[in-house]
Parts: sequence; C-alpha cells; structure tokens
Amino acid sequence: MKGSTLAMNKKYIVYAAFTVLAAVAMLSACTDKRSTGLEYARNMYDPIAYNQDQPNKNFVNGQTAQTPPLNTDPVGFVRFEYANTPEGFAASGALVNPLSLTEKNLLEGKHYYNVFCGPCHGEKGDGQGHIVKLDKGIAGVPSYYGEDPSHHTGETGLVKDLSAGKIYHTIFYGLNSMGSYASQLTPTERWKVVMYVQQLQKQ
Amino acid sequence: MRNISLIFRKGLKSVFVFAILSFLMVAGAQAQDLVEGKTLFKGKCASCHALDQNATGPALTPKMNEREEGYLIKWIRNNVELRASGDKTAIEAANYSPTEMTAFPTLTDDQIKNIIAYAKVGEPKKIVDAGTAVVDEGVSTLSLLGVIAIIIVSIIVLVVLGRAIKMLERLILQKQGIEVVEEENVSLAVGIKGLFKNKKFVFFFVICLIAVLGSFGWMGMWNTGVHTGYQPVQPIKFSHELHAGINQIDCQYCHTSAFKSKNSTIPSLNVCMNCHKAVQARKEDGQISPEIMKIYNALGYDADKQTYDKTKEKPVEWVRVHNLPDFAYFNHAQHVVVGEAAIRKQAGIKPTDPVCFACHGPVNTMEEIYQYSPLTMKWCINCHKEADISGKKNDAFYANVIAAHEKIKKGEKITPAALGGLECGKCHY
Repeated sequence: MKGSTLAMNKKYIVYAAFTVLAAVAMLSACTDKRSTGLEYARNMYDPIAYNQDQPNKNFVNGQTAQTPPLNTDPVGFVRFEYANTPEGFAASGALVNPLSLTEKNLLEGKHYYNVFCGPCHGEKGDGQGHIVKLDKGIAGVPSYYGEDPSHHTGETGLVKDLSAGKIYHTIFYGLNSMGSYASQLTPTERWKVVMYVQQLQKQ
Repeated sequence: MRNISLIFRKGLKSVFVFAILSFLMVAGAQAQDLVEGKTLFKGKCASCHALDQNATGPALTPKMNEREEGYLIKWIRNNVELRASGDKTAIEAANYSPTEMTAFPTLTDDQIKNIIAYAKVGEPKKIVDAGTAVVDEGVSTLSLLGVIAIIIVSIIVLVVLGRAIKMLERLILQKQGIEVVEEENVSLAVGIKGLFKNKKFVFFFVICLIAVLGSFGWMGMWNTGVHTGYQPVQPIKFSHELHAGINQIDCQYCHTSAFKSKNSTIPSLNVCMNCHKAVQARKEDGQISPEIMKIYNALGYDADKQTYDKTKEKPVEWVRVHNLPDFAYFNHAQHVVVGEAAIRKQAGIKPTDPVCFACHGPVNTMEEIYQYSPLTMKWCINCHKEADISGKKNDAFYANVIAAHEKIKKGEKITPAALGGLECGKCHY
C-alpha cells in the first residue's frame, strides 16, 4: 500500500515539474514589443519643458513648434528676396554665388548633391537617378547638360545655361514636380550644391 | 487545266506571303512608334505630365483622345505661338495652371505622333497578385498558442501512456495468476493534501518557486527602463526597409538635422511630398495607396486639384521609439560628423553603410522601426572606453587641450576659458 502511494507521488512530482517548466518557457516568451516594459520613476525620463514635436495645450493649434511671427528673422539670417514667380525667377539670375570655388566647398556640395538631388537627378546630373530608374511615378527629370530645355515658365533657354542664382531659386522654391529644399539645406549648403551643379552643367 | 491551277496556287501563295509580311511590317512599325514615343514621353513630358493622373500638367490619355492629331501637334510644338494666334481652345487649355508648358520646336511631326500614340495607349496594365499583399500579423500570439498547444498535447500523451502502462501491468499480473488488489480510489483533494504532506515534494516545489521567481525578478530588474526591441505601432505604416533599403534613400535626406544638431528630427511632411507628390502607389482600381492618403489628409492636400487646404492640416502623431531621458545629454552631430571614423571602426560598419547603423542597427531591413540598442549608461560607457579617437589629435579642440597642458607644466595661470569654459553649451542645453 505504502509503495503504491509513493509511486503515485512520483508521478505527481513529474507532472508538477513538467508544468513548472512549461510555465517558465511560456512566461519568458511573453515580452511585448509594443510596450516599453517595466519602468521605474518614469517622470525622470519625461522632460519638464516641452519638446519641439510634443503636443502642447498652451497654444491654439495644440503644437509646441510654432511658426515664427511674420516678418521676423533669426539673428544673422539673410532673407531670399526673390518671389516664386516667373519674374522673381528671372530676377534671381543676377545673384552671384557668395562662396569661392574651392575644392572643399565642391566636395561638400557633392555630398549634399548626392544625398538630396542625386536620387532623382542622378549622380552625373543626367536625370537618371536610381529613383527615376525604379519607374514608380517620378520620370522626365531633365539632364543638366545636353539639349534639355528648362521647364521654368517664361524661360526659353536650356538647363545647362541656367545661372547660379536661377539654380538657387529652383532649390529654394522647387519647380513643377520638384519640391522645395529650403527646409533640408541651409543657405550655405544650397550655394555649395549650386557650385557642384554648375560643375555638372559643364559636361 | 493543271497549269491554271498551279498559277492560281502560286498567286495565292505570294498574296498570302505578302499579306503576312505587310502585317508584320505594320505591326513592327507600330511597336517602334510606341517604344520611341515612350522614350520621348519619359524624357520630354513626364516631368510635368502623367498618363492617367493630373500633375503639373493634366492627365494626358484623356486629352489625347479628346482632340485631333493635327491640333495636338501644333500645341505640343509651340503652345505659346498657338495661343498668340488667338486660338480660343488653346487659351482655355492654358488656364489649367499658371505654369506655362515648355515649347518643343525641335520635335519632328513623326516624333510628336509617336508621343501621341504612346500617350493614347499607355502602359499595359500590370496584373497584381492579390495574394502577395496579405500581411502576416500576430506572429507572436500564434507562436505562443502553438507552445501552449504542444504542452497540452504532451500532457495528454503522458497521461494516456501512464494509463496504458498500468493496464498492461495489470494484464501481465492477471496472466501470471496473481490476483490484483483494486487500489482504493483516492479523491483529488485528498491526493493533493497527501502530496503537501510529502516532505520531498514540498522541498522540490519550494525550490522550483524560488528559481522561477528569482529568475523573473532578476530579469525584470535588469530590464527595467531598458527599451531594447520596443516597436510601437506608428500612425502611418512607414517602412524603412522600402525607403532606406530598396529605394536607397540616404538617412540624411529625411533626418537632416542629425548631421547638424543635437536632435535627429522626424521629417516634416513637405519632405514626404518631395517624392509622394508624384509617387502615389496607385492600385489597379486607381485608388491612391491608403498610407500615402494619410500624408495627403494630414496636409489637406487634394491630389486631383493639387492644392493644399491649410484649414484641414493636422499633425501626424508619430510614437517616439528612442527616448533618452533628459538628464542625459546626447548630441547626434557630434557622433555622426565628428566621431564618424572612430565609430565606424569601433562598430565595424561597412563603408557603404551609413554610420547610423552603429547604434540604430540595420535600419534598411526594418519594415517597422524598433529600438536596436539598449541606450543604457553601460552601453555608452563601454563604447567610450574602447573607441579609438587618436586620429583626432590634430583637431583644434585637442590642440587647445595640449596647449593648456603645456601652460600648466610651465606653471602659468590657466582659466576655465582656456578649456572651452566660455562655450554656451557647457551650461545651457
């Protein structure tokens, strides 16, 4: 009699051990990638001041990042005074690149060109960037050299003849399908890109 | 008689051959037209026109079917002249947009005809297999269910095997002529009570409990506040795998400020629109991809009229993945620009990959972005202990430090300003 109870207990012990192992295996698989998990003193992680892209109930539109008041400029900022019109474009032709043509400026211009312009305009400026080759909706990017006409309204010349100021105008406002790159490139960076584009025009 | 039929047959043959040849030639010529038309279209027209959707210029396929060829040739060659001649239709057509269409005086009649032929027919519609679009979600729950099922099945198997062994034993005993004493049926409650009286079992149970709770507690404490693998659901299903991987767009294109400032910003929607004004990933039924529609809706953008409605603007509320607490100062530009070479070497980043991968992992393979590195203090410190910045010794910053050291050696006066103590960022950040 005693022997049989011991056998029974042995069986139960095996079952219990199995259950515990199974539970451990299951619980360890239970990490939720959608949650940040346990946190101690969360308030030490959250800033007291508002971050730029945080919601903010103190403003009417509920955002922390506000548009600067009209007609204000940061210290040292030079405004681009030419309008986004055919007249403004024509007038911008008078602008001259304020940077001097150095190897360093050109190299930096090449870097920014390859990151921001190259995907569509191609690393050689032939209008055959890798995004164009994907053929997903962006096509017909003009070549900087050769006989491609400029698509600016009122401009009858070729892309290869566009002056520095007109290239800057195009980067600043965008043109047709091309968007404005003013938010991604600072004025100095834009002039460096202009410098590099003018090198590509000479091909 | 026979001659006549022979001649007749020959004639028939030649007519047949001629017909086939001419058919082939016509078909060939037409194919040539379309190919040349397509090349010309992509080169000259596609920067402003799409075939079936309005862009800078109107959708071309309907326009090409609307007017006769002769008129279209005149318009394409020089629309300015046509309007100047007082043509009412042309003046009306130009009202589509304030942007003037470029004149193409160098195109020949044949070239323009080819473009028109291509624009009328367009691309052959691709048949997309709907089955491939199925997204596999909830993999983790599925695997969890699988584990549970396996456990349940194995328990059942164990129980059944136990029963079977008992039966067999009993049968053997019966055959040997030994009378089997029926075991008393112990109720479950009594059985468990008996179990807890068994010292061996209680000892085993307690050991297990301590091991389980201990290991969970240990793991829990180590991982408190560590968000490795955190992958929140984002408002737009933006795929880094598609944009940074397949489409090879540089990190800097969207996260511009990572190379200029402390923060790596989330791009504003105008950056999305640089491409997605034209790339709409339309489905077979002409619907714009719902994820791209989310960009348009947030901007109040009307894809057909190509106008923005400021009153409908609302921000896209991305969920922050990498959150370094504000009591720790981290500067992206300092690492990505100044420390690039050292970090590349330390993390073993391929020259073709961006330096960002050192901390953010293989972003170009992440369909959904997640936190790759633990961002713990230990993780920062370990890299700062090991990374080699000796290549920086000629930098102005280190030159200052060396100069200050020389001064100290000579016993000259040294001020905090000599060590960069006047930098705003030393106190204000």
